[in-house]
Amino acid sequence: MKFLKIVLPIVFIFIAISCNKDFLEPQPISAISEEGYFKTDEELESGILNMYDGIQGINDRNTSSNHSIQYEFYLTEIRTDNTRGKGSVDSDADQAQFVNYNIRATNGIVADYYRSMYNIIYRANVVLDNLDVASEANSAKFEGEAKFVRAYAYFNLVRLFGDVPLVEKVIAPLETEVSYTRVESSTIYKLIEDDLLTAVANLDDNTKNRASKAAAQALMAKVYLTLGEYSQAQTLCESIMNPARGFSLESNFKDVFYSEGNDEVIFAIGYEPDLIKDSQGFSSEWLNAVGYTAGVNYVTAEMREAFDQFGGERTLYSIRQDVIQPSEYQVAKYIPNGDENLGISPIASDPRLAGNDWIVIRYADVLLMHVEAILAGAEATTSSNAIESFKEVRNRAGITTEVTTITKEDLLNERRVELAFENQRFFDLLRFGEAQNVLSAYSTENKYNFTSSDLLLPIPSSEINLSKGLLQQNPGY
Amino acid sequence: MTYKNIIVNHWKKLLLLFLGGIFCSCEDNILPEEGSIEDLTLPEANFDYGENNNDYLTYSFSNLSSSATDFFWDFGDGNTSTENEPKHTFPQEGDFEVSLTVADKLGVESVETKTISVVQPEGPIIIVPEIIESGFEAGTLDGGTGDGNDAWTIAGANNIGLSTSVVRTGNQAARIYMGVESVAYQELTVTPNVDYRITLYYTLASSPAGGYIRLAVLGNKIEDASEAEGVIIASVYGDDQTSTTDYTKLTLLFNPGASDTVAIWLDSNNIAEGRVDDITIEHVE
Repeated sequence: MKFLKIVLPIVFIFIAISCNKDFLEPQPISAISEEGYFKTDEELESGILNMYDGIQGINDRNTSSNHSIQYEFYLTEIRTDNTRGKGSVDSDADQAQFVNYNIRATNGIVADYYRSMYNIIYRANVVLDNLDVASEANSAKFEGEAKFVRAYAYFNLVRLFGDVPLVEKVIAPLETEVSYTRVESSTIYKLIEDDLLTAVANLDDNTKNRASKAAAQALMAKVYLTLGEYSQAQTLCESIMNPARGFSLESNFKDVFYSEGNDEVIFAIGYEPDLIKDSQGFSSEWLNAVGYTAGVNYVTAEMREAFDQFGGERTLYSIRQDVIQPSEYQVAKYIPNGDENLGISPIASDPRLAGNDWIVIRYADVLLMHVEAILAGAEATTSSNAIESFKEVRNRAGITTEVTTITKEDLLNERRVELAFENQRFFDLLRFGEAQNVLSAYSTENKYNFTSSDLLLPIPSSEINLSKGLLQQNPGY
Repeated sequence: MTYKNIIVNHWKKLLLLFLGGIFCSCEDNILPEEGSIEDLTLPEANFDYGENNNDYLTYSFSNLSSSATDFFWDFGDGNTSTENEPKHTFPQEGDFEVSLTVADKLGVESVETKTISVVQPEGPIIIVPEIIESGFEAGTLDGGTGDGNDAWTIAGANNIGLSTSVVRTGNQAARIYMGVESVAYQELTVTPNVDYRITLYYTLASSPAGGYIRLAVLGNKIEDASEAEGVIIASVYGDDQTSTTDYTKLTLLFNPGASDTVAIWLDSNNIAEGRVDDITIEHVE
């Protein structure tokens, strides 16, 4: 009995002591986990790079991978009169749905993009939630970069899907209220604006593959143009156009795409050739059976006509005839395996692992946004400062005819050929209020099935199913 | 009694019952068929509209209805359409009650009505600012006051002088002194992104040589003369010293950019005595 009186308390004390957190939930030592990982500047910077890795997307064919902007052309360019697929008009394959405007809520590419953008937002929120570990010298910069990336992803989402869930911090799996409640797009735009204001204030101009001040200003200018805040957009463009900032048009249009890191690039997603983890696959998909498809994002007849009229010297480095199938035309920007006739050398030894950077914002876009800001929603402008910016872009393409008036249509056409296949057309049509007119005419002409509800993509049905009825679908799906 | 006997004995009653059953069964079947469910997605009419570029009378309609298969548009001006997404040109300006009636194949209907105000858009309004004391004449301010240079002052610099000798029009001109720094500054309200032209007339004494005046436009208003140099958006020099008395025309084109306030700035290198008169501004088409 005496033995028990002594031993039992000892046993109980031992049990009590042993029950601390380290014993029951030890930090793994053989692998890195997110919890408790971020302790220094270097570690937080790896979180920053992780965001850009999210934008890069994964270069494989796995349908559960996040392909991010490597699949963006399906949702934007193919969904306009610029490009199409090569298959049957009536096909119901995921890719074909973007061509004939029969997009379904079950479309895997739409779900992929939606998931990818929220994954990028998650990665940015991870950085923002751990900002307190950053040193004073780096904290502002890290915050600026993370907020730029978050704004970039939300701006894509809100323009493609309309009202979307607003996730401003890292959330847990059970916070379904946040994950599945669609928030008014004006609220989303408010976050985008606030984030970009921070990015503009905190960043400098020293990087092209990471967020910079100019990138944040240019993106913000586009946000303001989308919202009709023209004078703010103009001021931002003029700030970037100040010669002291060091941005200018490349004298040769080809060099914009085949001399990476040039003065015209403001923000590009960097890719490295022949590395599975850092390369991109879209360049090869746009060729004839070089990628895994027989060729997608092929140039429409309407687009070739636009180039005949407005392209000038740009045409040569924008579209080229498919040598295997001479009736078809391909995109000539971002060619991965070279073209001797055009003086383009191969960028990767395996074209499916292409290293061509994806340009998100370049100086020509800023100049044309400047014109758009001055036009300010009117039908035409004769303002000399608008004409100057407009002519700068056209002169580079070798078009030197006199310009005295710029109409909205002139500007839309100029943007179409200058920024062809850079995933701008769809958003341009929306901003100019021309999407329904242009796309319904194009659809009728080609016997596709466009209606105005096609201007918003469906919320992926996988998300709707997971939400247990919380997430509402867009009209027409 | 066997069943056979029942049939034989009561065949008339049975026939009546049978016919009655047939008769009764021929009613409309109001009960749902086996396996059918209630229609929970009733049609809901909704639409949006947008004015066409270049034609304020023509509108494109977007059909935002759900669970509907048949559409009927009434444009409120006597015209109708059964297209999904019609385009319609209204006969003239005015308010039109546009209604969209939608139905599904069960015949359930829903109606949405919106009023469209068709108005011809106004052309852009371009402000041509008025320059105060443009001829440097006395008594042109409110209530007949002013010396002729009172509207041209700025802190941090001498106000430009006045003279009654060698004037171009009226009784006075602005005077540039030899050896004394003086400037003229006046704020103007303008329309952003519109081209303007400022015109003035000046003359400079033929000696000493090397004199000039400068006409500039500042991109925004300033509080002190020292800020001027940094915000000049356009400038032009006048250095014609051929005649002390004959005036020379000087013009300056400028575009205010996004700003709606600019300022005229006038100074000289103070080498030669001079005059400035009759400053005007106009909008350049």
